[in-house]
Amino acid sequence: MTPAAPLVTLGLVDAAFSGFRAYAGRDARIRKRAAIVRSALRGLAVGAVLLLAPAVTAGTVLLTADDPALAYAALAAGGAGYLRPLAVYATTVVLSLAAYFVLPFRVSTLAMVVGLGPLTLLRPLAIVAACLGALLNGGGFTSLLVGSVAGGAVLCVEPIVHRRWYASVVH
Amino acid sequence: MIRQLEEHGDHRAARIVASLPTGRDDVLDPHAVDRLLVGVHTELQRLSEELRIGERLVHLLGPLLAAVRAAATPARPLRLVDVGCGLGYLIRWLAATHALGPDVELIGVDLDAALVGEAARLARAEGLHCRFVHGNAFDLPEAATVYVSTGVLHHFRGPALAEFFRAQASSPALAFCHYDIAATRLAPVGAWAFHRARMRHPLGRHDGVVSALRAHSDEALLRAAAAPGIRPLLYEPRGMSNPFCTTLRPVLGIRPHLEAPLRRALGRASRRLVGPEQLAEVVR
Repeated sequence: MTPAAPLVTLGLVDAAFSGFRAYAGRDARIRKRAAIVRSALRGLAVGAVLLLAPAVTAGTVLLTADDPALAYAALAAGGAGYLRPLAVYATTVVLSLAAYFVLPFRVSTLAMVVGLGPLTLLRPLAIVAACLGALLNGGGFTSLLVGSVAGGAVLCVEPIVHRRWYASVVH
Repeated sequence: MIRQLEEHGDHRAARIVASLPTGRDDVLDPHAVDRLLVGVHTELQRLSEELRIGERLVHLLGPLLAAVRAAATPARPLRLVDVGCGLGYLIRWLAATHALGPDVELIGVDLDAALVGEAARLARAEGLHCRFVHGNAFDLPEAATVYVSTGVLHHFRGPALAEFFRAQASSPALAFCHYDIAATRLAPVGAWAFHRARMRHPLGRHDGVVSALRAHSDEALLRAAAAPGIRPLLYEPRGMSNPFCTTLRPVLGIRPHLEAPLRRALGRASRRLVGPEQLAEVVR
């Protein structure tokens, strides 16, 4: 099975969370569920556009390769290697989120302080680990290129959404 | 101001202030400062939301108000005053959730006019039943039943901390409950990571770490809160709580006759409520 589908799914989910993070801390209202959903959708939309960049890069690699089958195999291997560290990261985030929302406030503080807070800071490192995973799994330079473009794209979602919609306090 | 900060060795704070816009006479632009404070406090509210500060307070204020209601004869209106309320997140959250019951009047007080104005605007926008006052919380025309605060105590240095508690002890208030950063070795590191991840402006990030460094120890808080006519208590002191789960913990001061009903209302959780004599045992 090609790793493209889970990678795209992870990228889009991350984009939605990035949209929320771009908005968080800009709206001091108490009731703001609709605004939170809107920010996630904005992140999703920006992420969907930005994720075209690695798709185009991968397409160019395949179209310009001497042996497209070999290039596809390398990209598939690199994608699988890229996916593994991200899957570990995503699982940790999901577990932290579940603990935060389900458990009482004391344990939810633990999930926030030990999990969700530091995990936000670790996002660039997760991308670096994914790129290394792509290389180590035999993806070669082309996988590293596509992985770097994809990593750059997902890291750009939050600043773009923030600058476009949430540069100042929401009134 | 920059010179003062440099003299105190806080070079980062000096750089932050130096980057703020000034007028022709080199005085900070008051409108820019107001905008910045509102922005930073809005980000700060995100931390309160994520750390569920409202629920944390209700966990203790619920039983405390139950004890006050049980002891008050005849019944009197209950008034909760949030000292240094900033954008009034706690008061607005309590008003939105009705967590303390309809008989509790909610008032936020702050010395900063811009923050109070924004708090009042936010409350109006959401139709919340609460009030915000610009001024000194101890000069209100109506007496508070309970004074509360979150993240304010570390601003008081030296004798000012004990004076803050004495002002409440000498008022008609029946209790106070002030949450502040738990002074642990982990606090400054945790504050750095958390504020780095969640705050955008350098002022908010720097303030988070400096606040953790300035946090008062459990012993210092209990000593300062021991004002005449007040029984000082600490909830979840160091040694009785996991520092990862208790980033903020409260110091309480209650009229002595309220201690027994408060402990009854708290039930099993009252084990976590200690006075100065028990704190010595916990630390040992």
